[in-house]
Amino acid sequence: MKVTVVSRSGREVVKGGIDLKDSAKVADLQEAIHARTKKYYPSRQRLTLPLQPGKGGKPVVLSPKASLSEYCEKGSGSLTVVFKDLGPQVYYSTLFFFEYLGPLIIYPMFYYLPVYKFFGYEGERVIHPVQTYAMYYWCFHYFKRIMETFFVHRFSHATSPLSNVFRNCAYYWTFGAYIAYYCNHPLYTPVSDLQMKIGFGFGILCQIANFYCHILLRNLRNPSGSGGYQIPRGFLFNIVTCANYTTEIYQWIGFNIATQTVAGYIFLVVAASIMTNWALGKHSRLKKASLFDGKDGRPKYPRRWVIFPPFL
Amino acid sequence: MAGVGSAVRRLYLSVYNWVVFFGWAQVLYYAVLALRETGHEAVYAAVERPLQLAQTAAIMEILHGLVGLVRSPVSATLPQIGSRLFLTWGVLWSFPETQSHILVSSLVISWSITETIRYSFFGMKEAFGSAPSWLLWLRYSTFMLLYPTGITSEVGLIYIALPYMKASEKYCLRMPNKWNFSYDYYYSSLLALLIYVPGSPHMYRYMLSQRKKALSKAKAA
Repeated sequence: MKVTVVSRSGREVVKGGIDLKDSAKVADLQEAIHARTKKYYPSRQRLTLPLQPGKGGKPVVLSPKASLSEYCEKGSGSLTVVFKDLGPQVYYSTLFFFEYLGPLIIYPMFYYLPVYKFFGYEGERVIHPVQTYAMYYWCFHYFKRIMETFFVHRFSHATSPLSNVFRNCAYYWTFGAYIAYYCNHPLYTPVSDLQMKIGFGFGILCQIANFYCHILLRNLRNPSGSGGYQIPRGFLFNIVTCANYTTEIYQWIGFNIATQTVAGYIFLVVAASIMTNWALGKHSRLKKASLFDGKDGRPKYPRRWVIFPPFL
Repeated sequence: MAGVGSAVRRLYLSVYNWVVFFGWAQVLYYAVLALRETGHEAVYAAVERPLQLAQTAAIMEILHGLVGLVRSPVSATLPQIGSRLFLTWGVLWSFPETQSHILVSSLVISWSITETIRYSFFGMKEAFGSAPSWLLWLRYSTFMLLYPTGITSEVGLIYIALPYMKASEKYCLRMPNKWNFSYDYYYSSLLALLIYVPGSPHMYRYMLSQRKKALSKAKAA
């Protein structure tokens, strides 16, 4: 079949179009476009069907595993696709690795190196036990995240735009430095021993719970990555849709109870609002998905908290 | 019922915009008067009250955007109002040593010309349904001169205030304290200055694109 590839402004991206076997898949089309254009490797391509003039709605995105013939107009042996360049892409694992590496390295720098001399604090620093435990807790947390990135998580999209690397690293690294500065400060005031134990103890429990949530989510996805939504089940997912975010937020609450810095609490609020945004999106996608509307014998998405019982 | 609601909204916004317009008109008048009769050192004292009132009233505009009374995105109004309040209260009012500087005159005149045009433009639209085309042109053209003069004055005044901020330790919070928090006004102001570097071209470009949209829409109409 003949495939015409145009940009959103109507210009032909691949002159003369591409000829493919009738049985070809979208992935084959992507390879062919890459071969002809050199610059646009498949993960950079976003291919959609042209929008009918007058009709609104979102354009249909071509799924790489589908057959091209599924998208053809009935009867014709040809297809027109609209091409959008998503810009340079990085693997999600690459993105996560760098954004988590920053906090993992920066925080211990404030703990071990004589950083505070540059802020005008001369002389010896007395290190309180809570500050040492906080450093271990923090580093374990980000080490866990990196391990999960490579060994646990299964990503729905393989890549993310390169610009996200700068944005996300700025977020994690800046907050990491901001919190590390106060937690390791020479004039740091520790909380009571009991409060510290409660904070870290609760935090560790939540990290374990969070890890288990990640394992459950992983098992929802087929290893070949055939995608599609599943209703999460088991453990805390029976009560709350995004139990993984819930446990992550609670884990930071634990850290803050133990270390008590305004910087830490600011980070908690910002992180929680970002995750709440994601959770609201995920919750409504799962409820609306034609898979879970309860009609025609399909399962209905159960009533659950979104992220933060009993509030949301 | 919807009719009553939108009539109330129009009435409220008309009153709001014309009242604040009047405040800024006063600022402009007193500033020019003081410049001519005395000199630039006297400008601040002459405009202080109407300036503080008119500028602080602008906080209402954030609320208007949040509750959906007006269409302006909060993301555009917040930095603008933030920098204005910072200059009005955080620099000029807090550090009297800056008040006699000539940049106060350029600041106050840039702001008041811009704001009298802006508020009368919105006041006309809310009260009469539309604004005259010459006012539309002024609203979307004078910024090309007044943004640079205003921003230069803002940056200059913050810079001049820096040594006084450092010496006075005003608005600073020091460690140790039980919340393990500190705040340094001098360094925050330095950070604000840094933000002007990417922030100003961004705002200018935004206004240029708004100008294109508004003036071409007027032409087509």
